[in-house]
Amino acid sequence: MNKIRRVALTEYLNAVRSKAFIIGVLMLPVIMAASVAVQVFAQKKTDLTPRRFAVLDRSGQLYAVLAAKAKSRNDWLHTNDASVSVEMKGQRLKMDLPKQPEFVPEEFKPTGDDEKAAELQLSERVRRKELFAFVIIGRNVLARGATNHMELLYHTQTPTFQELPNWLDSTLNAEIRERRFTAAGVDSQQVRLLSQSVPLQRLGLAEKKTSGEVVAAKRDNPIATHAVPIGAMMLLFMTVMSSAPALLNTVLEEKMAKISEVLLASVSPFQLMLGKLVGTVMVSFTLSTFYLAGVAWMLWKFDQLGNVPGQLFAWFFLFQLLALLIFGSMFIAVGAACSEIRDAQNLMMPVMMTIMLPMMTWMAVLQSPTSPFSRALSLFPPATPLIMFLRIAIPPGPAWWEVALGLVLTTLFMIGCVWASAKIFRIGILSQGQAPSLPKLVTWVFSK
Amino acid sequence: MSPPLLTQPPRPAVRLTNVTKTFGAHTAVRQLSLSVPTGCTYGFIGPNGSGKTTTIRTILHIFHPDSGEVEVLGERSTRAANDRIGYLPEERGLYKKMTVHRVLAYYAALKGMKRADAAAEIQKWLAKMGLSEWADKKVEALSKGMAQKIQFIAAVIARPELLILDEPFSGLDPVNLEVIRAAILELRAAGTTVIFSTHDMAMAETMCDFIFMIYRGNKVLDGTLADIQRSYGEDTVRVNCTGGADLLRNLPGVELVRDLGQSQELRHPDPQALLRELAARTTVRHFEVCQPSLHDIFIRIAKPDSQEMQVPKTTGGGS
Repeated sequence: MNKIRRVALTEYLNAVRSKAFIIGVLMLPVIMAASVAVQVFAQKKTDLTPRRFAVLDRSGQLYAVLAAKAKSRNDWLHTNDASVSVEMKGQRLKMDLPKQPEFVPEEFKPTGDDEKAAELQLSERVRRKELFAFVIIGRNVLARGATNHMELLYHTQTPTFQELPNWLDSTLNAEIRERRFTAAGVDSQQVRLLSQSVPLQRLGLAEKKTSGEVVAAKRDNPIATHAVPIGAMMLLFMTVMSSAPALLNTVLEEKMAKISEVLLASVSPFQLMLGKLVGTVMVSFTLSTFYLAGVAWMLWKFDQLGNVPGQLFAWFFLFQLLALLIFGSMFIAVGAACSEIRDAQNLMMPVMMTIMLPMMTWMAVLQSPTSPFSRALSLFPPATPLIMFLRIAIPPGPAWWEVALGLVLTTLFMIGCVWASAKIFRIGILSQGQAPSLPKLVTWVFSK
Repeated sequence: MSPPLLTQPPRPAVRLTNVTKTFGAHTAVRQLSLSVPTGCTYGFIGPNGSGKTTTIRTILHIFHPDSGEVEVLGERSTRAANDRIGYLPEERGLYKKMTVHRVLAYYAALKGMKRADAAAEIQKWLAKMGLSEWADKKVEALSKGMAQKIQFIAAVIARPELLILDEPFSGLDPVNLEVIRAAILELRAAGTTVIFSTHDMAMAETMCDFIFMIYRGNKVLDGTLADIQRSYGEDTVRVNCTGGADLLRNLPGVELVRDLGQSQELRHPDPQALLRELAARTTVRHFEVCQPSLHDIFIRIAKPDSQEMQVPKTTGGGS
């Protein structure tokens, strides 16, 4: 036991003293702050050149309105700063939105009836950078049922700029609707009122307390029902993925650097492997503690910590432990069996596929956490740490017996993985040459 | 060097009894019995791939034998004695990113040594090897020779009762070789049992109390050098004559002519007849009948064209 502790402690200290760990963990807030600063800087560098565009209004009725709306928008931009505010511990935090460029329309009067010539003429002006874009409004745009998709045409050579076409779409269509209502003798104000949608309120279930008092159902909280489960599962996945695969490298490096044999003269292969696993669990728990503390602080700052059940933190560490022991032992076995990184990459494929399984299926589980598929998947040991954790995080969570059964099955599977990996490790760690095939690894597992 | 007192020591440091170890269809060690007396220096020799390292790993319980019994420092078939064994493997490696002190402290801790004892021992050995100022440097900053000395210190740091060295002198320059050799002799004088494998026959002759040779998994030599040489008789002749190796190779009855430059070494069943033959044909400047060297014996057993197993020349002592 003392030797396992010694190996684990050395593995832990080697990892947490490495530059990769320090950069990955301690520098994370710095990197995040820097990325936010870069984004803010980039937003301030938005191209605010006024977007001049021509309007060929064949209906002859919409340009004036469009020009008035553009002027009104430009005036608003000059006098107002677009911003959003967020509630943070009782204080409102105001954040500026990116500034937007002015839109400058000009009316284009074609000299003849040749539509193609007009289109070409305007296109040439766009190419010469005299215009940013041009719009052609069809003759029948106000006619009822003018939905042939050819009545409003937007031309540009910068299709990635979305603000102008979006603004044109909403402004012109709002005006067209108003005019159609008026032409049909319908009060547009009345139509708006009558067609106003009724929002669907999402709620949980009513409860009856032991005192007999009935507690009304609470409104659905998307943070608690979606953001927390998904975020927590992703964080669990991230901490496992940033720790377990590193075991492959350390074992392989020790093997390639011929350190393993020295260690095996002092500790048994099982002690060495277990020490490495324990060391990795300690590294991963350190990472999780940093990340969870940071996330909890952020949630507290935004008054959202109440949406995270306290026991979720305990489940997080428990499932992290199981995942690390399962996948860590698999990575150790692969590292011990191979003599080169290239060989290890081939053998890693099945392990990676197993790890990625929950990532490929979690959406279906989120949609229907109690479906037979979700239940079966959460009881499938390689997927249990992530999928069962996700189900626990989604209110109201699975039945207790499902959690208990999942834990028992996963623990048994974990013991099997560690046992099989120990067998592979014992044989593989001193083997040289070509990496064994998967069937060969199976024979190692069942060899004496 | 004189062998230690060998009046039937009560318990050998290492005793292998009918040990067999196979890897798939390949038998690495076959029915090997070996007894290493406490306090001696035991040399393991043999061609590459003959089973030396497998035998060493079996003694260390890194490999479990398919059959037979392994007893090390009084412990049978368990790793219980491993903390009392120092081991320097043939292929060496150290943690490059760790400091010299941390690496040595780690290896000492794995042997169950207390931190304070380890610190004192590390200081002592680094001073002895002239590496004191490198204690806080990372291993990657060391030269190859320095790293090899650190590796040696790692093997002896926990004051082992049994020290196993697999090719301890390979790759060392003459200065460092002498430093390591002196350290081994010092440990042996202090009572440590030393087993080392080597391809350097001269080193084995001068350092070892006993020689053990394994060839194709079988024990072919085991005993003191004198006993082994005696068992091969006085059929080796060292000659210096006009005509040299070319002349000697064409003489009847001559085997294994080894050209040493100024003289030639060869084997002949009747040295007197050879001398008469030579005297009749050429000028003989030097003619000496001697026992075969360990090098010669090694070649005789393991010469590349040897198709059949040689008859084992076990002469006691070890087994």
